[in-house]
Amino acid sequence: MAMNRLEAFRRLLRLLDREPVIANLGKNCYDLFVAGHRPENLYTWGAMGSVSSVGLGLALARPDLRVVVLDGDGSLLMNLGSLATIASLRPPNLVHIVCDTGTYETTGGQATHTAGAADLAAIGRGAGLSHVESAIDLDQFERAARRGLAEPGPWLIVAKMEGTSTTAKVPRRPIYDKYRFMEAIESV
Amino acid sequence: MDWSTVMADTLKANGYDMVAYVPDEVADRLLELLREKDAIAMVSATREEEAVAVLCGAYLGGKRGALVMQGSGLGNSINAICGLAIGIQIPFLIIISERGRLGELNPVQTPMGRAAPRILEALGIQSFRIDKVEDVAATVEGATKLAFASLLPVALILSTALSGGKTWR
Repeated sequence: MAMNRLEAFRRLLRLLDREPVIANLGKNCYDLFVAGHRPENLYTWGAMGSVSSVGLGLALARPDLRVVVLDGDGSLLMNLGSLATIASLRPPNLVHIVCDTGTYETTGGQATHTAGAADLAAIGRGAGLSHVESAIDLDQFERAARRGLAEPGPWLIVAKMEGTSTTAKVPRRPIYDKYRFMEAIESV
Repeated sequence: MDWSTVMADTLKANGYDMVAYVPDEVADRLLELLREKDAIAMVSATREEEAVAVLCGAYLGGKRGALVMQGSGLGNSINAICGLAIGIQIPFLIIISERGRLGELNPVQTPMGRAAPRILEALGIQSFRIDKVEDVAATVEGATKLAFASLLPVALILSTALSGGKTWR
């Protein structure tokens, strides 16, 4: 039985202090917002697939911060090359978490290829990442997240999750959110 | 001096901290010179959209970035240019080596060569063509000011007259 994403995010947030969290568009944003809005959360609204690359850029720019990315399986499947780029540049402060629901949730729950044969943890290892964890329940997820936040990475954590029916919408004000996020991490 | 040296020096002097790129013959020397500069992080991306997203992340971390790509990569870059860079107002410099324009030998490079100027225009991205090495420094400096004042990407087009274009191997 896959874990509940909202509960997983609540557990993750309890482990965090001021670490920036960048959430993939759609349900990851909704659940992060409900689990705990904080100024260090960045909710994205477009450019599906690019959130791991945004996290990479931030991790390279700010080695003083541990950067957490909440990706989706459908999104990562759009940007698999980013795993090779991350593995090649090896930013130790990047924690890339994939909430693998096996579905394109925001577009109506259609199956992704991870519902079939694709294995994102194996793809990550094949891309050259050496810190890859898989989690299928909340305790495994919390353990992996603790390691990712404490030990040098880059980390890829592939967590099998259930889609959630969270409908609470994040306020759609991405430009304001950009400044709020940058101020929270002291980039401006 | 050759255009690559002037451009690398001017990028450094204008405070660029990161260059994300997809390797390209025309820009090869430029990228090599940038790699030798201290304090410029070089990110070799697998495709152009990824490079755009990396630069957006770096901007969120307070860094100034430039994207280096062939004109043929423009198509690959657009989703992130719209959904991230223009959408939330993130500036960076886009340095494009022309493909599908004067002197092109590859038939299938020509459709994007024809479309590229109007694609940039349709996106509202101001672009400036550089034909002569004497214009490189002033154009890079002016485009940098414009990008960071407008909070939008600004494109520089390296014409085949400037670069000599691609060698047919």
